[in-house]
Amino acid sequence: MSSGRVYEVFARKNHDEELKHVGSVNATDDDLAKAYAWTLYDEERWVEMCVVPRSAIVSITNEGPLPVWGN
Amino acid sequence: MTPKPLDPAEQALIARINDGLMIETVADMTPGYKKALLTQLTVQGDTELMSAPAYYLAARDAPTINSRIAVTAIVHDELGHANIAYRIMEDLGADKRQLVYGRQPHEFKHPYGFDQPLENWAEMVVANGFFDRAGITLLSDVHQNTSYGPLKRALVKVDREEVLHLRHGESWMKRLAKAGGEARDALQRTVDWMFPMTLEWFGLPDDLKRHSGQLAYRLKGLTNDQLRQTWMAATVPLCEGIGVEVPAHFDEATDAYVIDFPFPCQYDPNAKRWLFDEPLTWDQVFDRWKARGPMNERYVEMIQGTFGSVVAN
Repeated sequence: MSSGRVYEVFARKNHDEELKHVGSVNATDDDLAKAYAWTLYDEERWVEMCVVPRSAIVSITNEGPLPVWGN
Repeated sequence: MTPKPLDPAEQALIARINDGLMIETVADMTPGYKKALLTQLTVQGDTELMSAPAYYLAARDAPTINSRIAVTAIVHDELGHANIAYRIMEDLGADKRQLVYGRQPHEFKHPYGFDQPLENWAEMVVANGFFDRAGITLLSDVHQNTSYGPLKRALVKVDREEVLHLRHGESWMKRLAKAGGEARDALQRTVDWMFPMTLEWFGLPDDLKRHSGQLAYRLKGLTNDQLRQTWMAATVPLCEGIGVEVPAHFDEATDAYVIDFPFPCQYDPNAKRWLFDEPLTWDQVFDRWKARGPMNERYVEMIQGTFGSVVAN
């Protein structure tokens, strides 16, 4: 049984703030990733939130393995 | 004995960490570092996870709808915090499903305090006031000092939410004290067993502690005794301020809190009573912890449900 893939979670608190990395979730598809991120990272009333599959991230500063950005 | 003193790779990493190196990937780690970090995260995740069923059952004792919603929100937070710890462990090669569903009740590494039943509202809110204060004491030290970048960042959210739990507990402790009568008696009875329980939570005193990998790798910054003092520095004045007695006091001469009973000593979990006339060695305390407390199986069963056996078998 697999936990699915890892999605990195990004969110913006106010319209004039940068989108920042707030954590990560495991999910078997995009819809579940959205639900998990929304319910787990509920510490703010985000004006914007999105998830990105970790596998889609292209690292520039790290030649080797991707760092784990958050949690 | 995590860092092998003679292993040059471990020594080199410890030296670089002392110079301020932050670890970001598994590739940066030595085996000793990774093992110490995984142990720390297991305890952290298991503690958060096992607080959830304990608080969930106690939510039934909430005196109002609002306070019941508050406890339910705390349960939600704690499960989230457990997920965060296990999520990091997965990036280090652990299997979250195995961690949650594939272990026997006695294999979880949470403190003995979360093997105990919370049987009334006073016990629920003192658990918030004492156990969550212990959690924030331990985790804010990790947050400030850890050499592992992903954990440092993850703890921003966790620390913030733990502070809310703590405030919930402390404000209710004040209300129960002010109410007097039966509410106040229940509060005092709860403090009587939870105060020593939380002191024990911080583990071996420094003079008995073997060399700590967690300190050497800067996975934490303060020693067990320093953390125990930090907890008492917040908790003893809180209790004194609301007229609740605790078996510890501040000693001006040594500028430290002093425990006023033979520590550690035996506990009767069924009577919820500390036996101050039965002092123990720490090895005997570890035996009591390993035997686990009365609610261990029930709590793990609540978490795993029927799914537990599916993954385990």
